[in-house]
Order: sequence, then C-alpha cells, then structure tokens
Amino acid sequence: MSTETERHERGRLAPVVDWMENLSEAAYAYLLLIPAFGLLTLIAFYPMISTFWMSLLEDQTRGAETLGGFVGLENYIGILTGDARLARQFLDVQLTGSFPFFELGVGFFQQALFVTLSFAILNVIFTTLIGFGQALVLDKDFRGRRWVRVAVIIPWAVPIVIQGMIFYLMFQPTVGFGADVMNALGLFSATPLASSQDSFFILLIADVWKTSAFMALLILAGLQSVDRSLYDVAKVSGASTWQRFKLITFPLALPAVLVAMLFRTMDAMRVYGLIESTAGCTTVPSMTCMVIEGMFGGTRIYGTAAAVAFMTAAIIGVFISIYIVKFRGQEGGVY
Amino acid sequence: MATETETTQTQAERDQSDDSGPFQRWVSGSISEPGRAYRPMFWLVTVFFLVTTLFPFYWLFMVALTPEGQLQNVVFTPNGFNPGVFIEIFQILPFHRYMFNSFVIATVTTAFVLVVASLAGYVFGRLRFPGKNPLMLLVLLVSFFPPAAFFIPLNDLFNTNFDILEPVLSNGSLYNTPYALVIPMSALFMPLAIFILTTFYSQIPDGLEDAARVEGTTRLGALFRVIIPLSAPGVATAGVLTFIGVYNEFFFSFLMTDGQPQNWAPVLQGILGFQGQYQTLYNAMAAASIVAVLPMAILVVVAQEKIVSGLTAGGLKE
Repeated sequence: MSTETERHERGRLAPVVDWMENLSEAAYAYLLLIPAFGLLTLIAFYPMISTFWMSLLEDQTRGAETLGGFVGLENYIGILTGDARLARQFLDVQLTGSFPFFELGVGFFQQALFVTLSFAILNVIFTTLIGFGQALVLDKDFRGRRWVRVAVIIPWAVPIVIQGMIFYLMFQPTVGFGADVMNALGLFSATPLASSQDSFFILLIADVWKTSAFMALLILAGLQSVDRSLYDVAKVSGASTWQRFKLITFPLALPAVLVAMLFRTMDAMRVYGLIESTAGCTTVPSMTCMVIEGMFGGTRIYGTAAAVAFMTAAIIGVFISIYIVKFRGQEGGVY
Repeated sequence: MATETETTQTQAERDQSDDSGPFQRWVSGSISEPGRAYRPMFWLVTVFFLVTTLFPFYWLFMVALTPEGQLQNVVFTPNGFNPGVFIEIFQILPFHRYMFNSFVIATVTTAFVLVVASLAGYVFGRLRFPGKNPLMLLVLLVSFFPPAAFFIPLNDLFNTNFDILEPVLSNGSLYNTPYALVIPMSALFMPLAIFILTTFYSQIPDGLEDAARVEGTTRLGALFRVIIPLSAPGVATAGVLTFIGVYNEFFFSFLMTDGQPQNWAPVLQGILGFQGQYQTLYNAMAAASIVAVLPMAILVVVAQEKIVSGLTAGGLKE
C-alpha cells in the first residue's frame, strides 16, 4: 500500500528522491541539518559574531555613527574595573591593604555581577530543594494526584509578565498586603520596590514560586524512571525510609536533578523580564539588564553593552563547564 | 513475614493503650509504626505546596474583582465586587486580538520547530557522521547567550527593506509582522526541542527503520512514517514545551513589535497596554492576566500526563 503511494509520489520528485537515497550516511546527515543550522546561523550565530565585533569597538556617544574605532578589549576592562559608563556598575570593587582586602564601590545589590550571581545561586538552591520536595509528593500514588500535579505545575506555565505583575502588585504599598506585612515584621522597608535589597528578595521569591515547578517536573521525570522493585528489595532487607531515600531515590534521581539544575542556572543567569516587570532595572541591575540599558537607555554605549552581553555568556559558560565536569563523574548522565 | 510481626506488635500496642486519649494512641501508634506518622506529614506538605502555588492566583483574582480605585490591602476578599471587569478588558483594548496573535505565533513557531528539530534530532539520534558532538555543542551554545546579544543585528535585519519580500509584506521589512517573532523564537526554542527529540528518536530500534526501508520507503518516508509516529510522546512533549515557552516569552515579545494589536503584538503587550500614561488599571491588568493564563492552565491539565511520561521515557533517562 505504502509502496503504491510511494511510486505515485516518485513521479515528479524521482530525481530528488534518487539523489537522496544514494547519498552516504554522513552526507545525508549534513543535508538534514541544513534547515536547523541555516536558521541558527541567521538568528543566532551571525548576530553573535556581529555583536562580538561590536564589543571590540569604541562607544561613540555623539555624531551620526553609532560605533567608533577598534579598541580591542578596552570595553571589557572598563566593565571589570568599574569605569564603564553604565547606569549601574557591572562590578565595582577596590582592593585594599587591610582585611577583608576589598571594598565595594557601590552597594552589593547594585552591582550587576553580584546581583546576577547571588540571584542564580540562591534561586537554584531553593528551587532544587522545593522542586525535589514537590517531586517526591507527586511521585506518590494517592487519590487526586492528577489535580495536585496540575496545581504544582501551573506556576511554570505563567507568562513572565504576569508573574512579574502578581508580585509587583503584592508588594506595591497602595495595592497589596506584602509591603505592610514585611514592614511590620521588620524585614523590608515601607516601599520595598524602591530598595535594591528588598526588591532582590521579592524577585527571588517570585522566581522560586514560578520555577520550582520546572524543577519538580524534571526531577519527577527522573524519579519515575527509578525501578520500583528496588524499593521492595530495600523494604524486605529492612531499610528505613531515610535509608531508602539516601541509598536509592537520591543517587538514581541525581542525574535528572543535575540536568534540571543546569537548565535552571542558564535561565536564572539571564534574568531580565521579571525584573523589568517588577522592580525595574535601575533598582535591581542584572547582567542582561545592563545590556538592555546600554542598548536602549539612550546613552548609546553599544560597544560596552555588547561586551556585557559577551561577559554574561562567558560566565554562563563557566558554570556550564562545572556541571559538565560533574556529569562526567556521574553514571547515566544525558550526554 | 516482617509485616506479620509488625501488625501483631501494633495490635498489642493498641490493646495496651486503650484507656488513653486518641492523641496518645496516635502517638504510640506512630512510634511503633513510623509509616503512620508519615501520612499526615505527607498531607501537610501537600497542602503547603498547594497553598503556596495557588495563593498568588487566588489573590490576583481578588484584585481583579475589586473595583478600580478601591485597591487597598486586598488580602483574602475583594474590596467590593466587580465581575464586569472581565468584559471591560475586551472593550478597553481588543484583548482578544492580542490573544489571537499570541496563539498564531505560538502555533506557527511550534509547528516549524517540530519539523526542523525532527530532522536534526533524527540526525543526532540515529546517524553516525564526523563532527557530531561539536555540532551538538554548537546548538547548546545558543542557550548561553542572553537574547539581548542577538538583538541589535536582528533588529537591523528585520527593519531592512528587502525588495524580494515586497509582494508578500507591505513595505518589505519584517518588523511588525508575525515573522519578526516566529523566526527568532524558533531559533531560541529549537535547541531544547532538538535535545528532547534526539533522545527519543535514538531509542527506536534500528530493526523497525530497516524493515520500513526494505519495504521500499524512502529515507525521509521512514522518518515521517516510522520514527516520528513511534516517538509520539516525545514529539508531544517537545511541542507542548515549545508552545508554552513561546507564549510566555518576554524579550522578543516585548521588543519586536510596536505594541499595536493589528501589528501582531502578543498578549504581553495587551497586559501592559492597561498601563496608561496617566493611570494604571491594576484591576484590568489582573483580569487580563487571568484570562491570558487560562489557556495555559487548560493545556497543563490536558498535557501534564504526557509531559511527565514524555520526559521520563526520553529526556532524562540514559
């Protein structure tokens, strides 16, 4: 039956089909990769290279031309020493002679590098713990599991702009209760969205709320692939619940947890939309914020902005390689 | 055997403490049989997770129901009752048009990503050729960069007028067309789809593909008639993840159109549209957000089993 339609189709396309049938495996592989890599080249690789070139050019804040001459790594050095003309500093640390040997130029939560790194690290720690907890709950068999699962996953399906708005409204003193409650507890100031430190923690809560679900989903997938009979064996040999968790659940779920952490780290390091829709980039500057401010903030520091974009990618790359090294030590990693 | 002794022990325990109160009985029961203590703890944890994940939605609903101008300290109940806001949002702005735009963009992107990523996933999952690992790393590399790193060159590219496109698009540039969102987002979400599909396609036994080939199917025919149908859960997972990702995306949705609904601005711009120059209609924003989340919630309800089983079967196992 299928051969008949095959023949029918072959009528006009015969030369193309024959040509494809006769390609070697490698040539056929490259042929099928053309659409994917064509798109990636146009949308990702070409702009990346072009942005990299921009990062090596001087900022030109006046005149018709937007970029000046070639300055090599000067933009990168400017960013790292706190001399760049960014609205908020990327990194502003002076080395001093006495303990603790360095001094912050501006507040910790006003330096993009520290904000982004602490955001990513705290975010990954909390989402992993909460996501693991949620996954353990969802892995059990109980009545209504389907709906509990839906409820836990839903925050992850919320558009970033809505996620930002919920928490913006909650901590907006004229609308929500969050500002009053936290102020009464003495944790936040009266207008938390105007303070860098308070806003940082609001963003952290907002993102943990949304992305724990993603963690839970990936870890749950890992837990579900654990062979159930292992638990029966453990039970018969008298292992306690904690031992079962420590010796079976945890090691077998670890690869899934690491993959989930890897994706979460990459995402958290690029945080932008959430900040833009809650506290704003001036209050909590992340690395991506710096790029956007530099490009659209009206200061026309395109070279510096491009350099920040590349430094962000480089820092993400460092974190990824840590994970990849960790993967190597694990059995059953994905790649 | 072990269970047998356990039950007799518990029985003895129970007889012993018959005259004590129910709480004491429960405590001694949980000491002799820890499994019983875990059950209430389990429900406690479950309820905690349910409350923390669902409360923000409930609160948003309360904000939406509160009439404009009375938004002070909304906690558990709305200040007033104004369900009409769910109709108003469609009158103040053509919010349905924003939703429609988002749907079209997400659907087209998902379809496109699935076709292109299927070809790539097939190659990475089933064929052997030199340069496979470096090429896969190159795909992953895309996800390192903040979308901002692509933006300026892309913005220039999309604002350039191409004479070839003149007959299709009004002024020959891609800005303010759905393509300005579909093209970059396809590239953005393709790496994930490729990785999911690669693991799925690699698990189909070679024999099935060979059998189809012996029957006289072409190489591409074997992919589309054998491999893809057999990996349906994986394709569904990749599709749902891409669709939700595109619908929720912030960066390009925010910057690639001028925010006008007739210019294919997505739902994000619709919600921000209630933020006027002189006043912000918080209740309308809240109502619009709820309307915009609903389709995603329905998708999660329908597809959650698929997503979890899809990730279990392929994505994360070796």
